Amino acid sequence: MRDPSTYTEAELIAGCVRGERKAQQVLYERYASVMYPVCIRYLGREDAKDVLQDGFLTVFDKIGTYKGEGSFEGWMRKIFVNACLMQIRKSDALRFSEDIAESPELGGVLEHGVLEQIESRQILDLIAQLPPGLRSVFNLFVMEGYSHAEVAEALGMTEQSSRSQVSRARSLLQKKIKELYNGKK
Amino acid sequence: MERNEFDKMLRDRLAGVTEPAPDVWEGISRGLARKHRRVLLRSFATGAVAAAAGLAVALLVFRGPQAARQVEAPVRTAQAVQSVQPAAPAPAEVAPIATQIAQFTKHQVTAQAFIPHEAPVTVEEEQPAVETPVTEAPDTETPAVETPVTSQNDPVEPQHQLTEEDLPADFWREDVPARKTHTSNLSISSNITTVGSEGDLIYKASPMHSSSQTGSRAASAVEPVSGSPKFFSPLSLGLQLEIPLSGPVFLSTGLSYSYLVSQYDMLVDKVRYEGAYNQLHYVGIPLSLSWHFVETPSVGVYASAGGAVEKCVAQRYVYASNTLSEKVAGLQWSARVGLGVEYWFVPRLGLYFDPSLVYFFDNHQPLSIRTQQPLQARFEVGLRFKL
Repeated sequence: MRDPSTYTEAELIAGCVRGERKAQQVLYERYASVMYPVCIRYLGREDAKDVLQDGFLTVFDKIGTYKGEGSFEGWMRKIFVNACLMQIRKSDALRFSEDIAESPELGGVLEHGVLEQIESRQILDLIAQLPPGLRSVFNLFVMEGYSHAEVAEALGMTEQSSRSQVSRARSLLQKKIKELYNGKK
Repeated sequence: MERNEFDKMLRDRLAGVTEPAPDVWEGISRGLARKHRRVLLRSFATGAVAAAAGLAVALLVFRGPQAARQVEAPVRTAQAVQSVQPAAPAPAEVAPIATQIAQFTKHQVTAQAFIPHEAPVTVEEEQPAVETPVTEAPDTETPAVETPVTSQNDPVEPQHQLTEEDLPADFWREDVPARKTHTSNLSISSNITTVGSEGDLIYKASPMHSSSQTGSRAASAVEPVSGSPKFFSPLSLGLQLEIPLSGPVFLSTGLSYSYLVSQYDMLVDKVRYEGAYNQLHYVGIPLSLSWHFVETPSVGVYASAGGAVEKCVAQRYVYASNTLSEKVAGLQWSARVGLGVEYWFVPRLGLYFDPSLVYFFDNHQPLSIRTQQPLQARFEVGLRFKL
């Protein structure tokens, strides 16, 4: 009898489609540490735990719809991103994003070599510290590779608003990175 | 640093990043179990509703029209009589009897007894109602056939003049209850037992099942391991026939199906599997006596006691990505007492709610909530049809 932890990705997916609890558990153990940072980027550490659970429940519910087109990790990531956006919408955080976009330019261009000095975990936390609206737009555009039109559609805003918010989020993040880097020195 | 350069560097830095996740598997596992139960409940409910609807349609098609005619006949007869002679005063010697008969419909003397004056009258108490054509006005062309109701223009040969002697001695007594006729009932039920539990393994019974994989092993290839098993609420579906025995006492029997799911650690061929599933399918024959101590046209309350014998017709273990089916020997006996309420929202179709206490005897059956917690509260609901 094979140990399920040695299953290939395809075998795990097949097991999950059949509703086998052990396969689901192995899948969770294999991908939880990959999806958790995604949730942190959108929601911060506090709320990421809840969405991690909801996201996996959705994955197990919808896994039968995965047709093998594209990477499975990418398919899962989309589910988690959607789960995060739903959570943000529920908390009404996006309502304030327009106001933030109207605030004055923060500035803050990052010098070369600074980003390399910051740990990945710290970058995650800095992104998570962005205001929720800016954070969502920035994550979708920069990290997930959405176009401004797609961001606008996903978050119910104009393309122009998406552009300006990405720009503001970038500036704000660079400023925070610089502050952290200067504090380290 | 350019915007695009910054974005790319950020993406690269976070591309393969992992972070130790908090353990939320317990919550996920609970969520999956809830979903599984919801799916099962939905399936059972759909099956029950479909069966009930099918039976209701069948009853309406094969019995409904007759029943409807029987119910409608007295009313229509009364209307006919009233329309024939709306203002005609009855003779003095007939009027008091006729008037009172019309009031005492509880004795199932229909308005056929309300006879227009001068018309010869025949009344047979508790004569079954027959279909009577409704006549808005006297019709001399159409002879009244099969109807005791006559009009002035349509005389019928008298058979017997109604007198008070024709009525039972207690006919005028208000305190005499109407005679009740009990009919058989058919019930479609679904029940939920609120016993889904977790706890330490209590398993004394020795499994007496043999593996269908090898076909030669007398003992089970599966052995429960001490731990914290989970038992999900059993689901049942049943079809029962209730036959009147004597007065308000009924005998019930039928066919039942139960599905039990447990999750526990088990050894399969000496290899330990954690959180494996055991699924049991039982088919049984319940038998019980019930005493209907409250009976109104729309509501009934009854107490019942009885038992059931069930046979496990299928058992399946699901562990890792494997399944194993095993046969189960022996029978599961149980006893139950309960109190039920039925509500007839139309004359032949009603709902019932039947909470009861069930005790499952130790009959060496596979580990399940029945071996773990032999005394259970069961809540049965269903549709009931009068046959």
